[in-house]
Amino acid sequence: MKSPVTLYIIASAVASLAHSPSVAASPFQSGKLLVTSGASQVEGAGGGGLTTWALITGYGTEDGIGANTHGTLVSTNDFTLRSAGVAVGFYDRLEVSYTRQWFDTGRAGGRLGLGDDFEFSQQVWGAKLRLIGDAVYGQDTWLPQVAIGIQHKDAARETILTALGAADDSGTDYYLAATKILLSESLLLNATARLTNANQFGLLGHGGRGNGRSLQMEYSAAYLLDRQWVLAADYRTKNDNLAFAKENDAWAAYAAYFFNKNASLAVGYVDLGDIALQGGQKGLYLSLQIGF
Amino acid sequence: MRIAKLITLAAGICVAPHAAQADSLYEQLGGMEGIQKFVDRTVELSANNPEIGHFFERSILSRVKDKLAEQICQLSGGPCTYTGARMDRLHKPMGISTKDFNILVEDLQHAMDEADISNRAQNKLIAILAPMHRDIVED
Repeated sequence: MKSPVTLYIIASAVASLAHSPSVAASPFQSGKLLVTSGASQVEGAGGGGLTTWALITGYGTEDGIGANTHGTLVSTNDFTLRSAGVAVGFYDRLEVSYTRQWFDTGRAGGRLGLGDDFEFSQQVWGAKLRLIGDAVYGQDTWLPQVAIGIQHKDAARETILTALGAADDSGTDYYLAATKILLSESLLLNATARLTNANQFGLLGHGGRGNGRSLQMEYSAAYLLDRQWVLAADYRTKNDNLAFAKENDAWAAYAAYFFNKNASLAVGYVDLGDIALQGGQKGLYLSLQIGF
Repeated sequence: MRIAKLITLAAGICVAPHAAQADSLYEQLGGMEGIQKFVDRTVELSANNPEIGHFFERSILSRVKDKLAEQICQLSGGPCTYTGARMDRLHKPMGISTKDFNILVEDLQHAMDEADISNRAQNKLIAILAPMHRDIVED
């Protein structure tokens, strides 16, 4: 876990830089309202839990640059997924992200003939462009904030992935996300359509029986309990491409606490369904976000 | 589809009428007296805020307080009519940024916290004020 630590050091350094009061016209202004940066979703984009939102990460307004690093832990009955990454938001318009994920199979690795503690991993490069709408200020219109995005995923262990039936170790997802904050109801709603052929988020490669992309959906509802606490639930549909093991939809429910504009923590419950013949993978979801 | 049900339920709880929601927003904000109190405090905080205080340098603070309270009274359903200048004419020439706008919102939230106004009522008011971003922030 060397890289997450390094990322946090860089993030803290940049965050403290962002708060040096002398620079009046600094683009690192943290000018958005608390919580409106969103959290970091599992593949490293601005969002929450399992879902990608249309919000641009960080606290930069149209005049500023914001950024976030995240460390996420998903611990289910048989598997541990760790994720760490960095995302930068430019002028509340463009978001660029990079994330690494490690998927530890524990004892299940042995049962699958991969060896105990066999680890899958992948890198995810992401970009998101905000198209129209303003989730925060457009309170008098039904138009949500809409963004398009791309996530390119490249998994390690190509030969194993091929043996498991994946058509490719790398692949690209395209998505269209719509986020609406109904402030009068203290509610955030999100729906995202993702064109993808990723198996288990891409950790088990892409494609399989027929490797065409299909349209998968992501939904989020979040209640703004107060200015720092958010209760959220996500639901995400997934492909079922691998012949050897069925893949299910996933959901998560969590509480997020925003300490300030530099740190937030989300804790909750996640259910990823069956993964690689290991039934009912559910357990802890934990995600720390540091940024500005 | 257990979770779909759960989300629907959660969303239902979130939008379900609050017990106190029989009151209008105006009443939840404490009527004209309550509004004037947190508006006065907001203007004091913002006028003395090192980041946005300079926008108030050429204003008569007592007039800003009265007009803002009048406006919030009207927008929240109270028996007032805003008699101040148009928001865009007033603010567009000032060069106010989104960050500046948000700092004022944060001062307003701070003042409403001090006045013990519920988070839901605060969000309802900010939901009404938020679209003014278009008229206030420099293009």
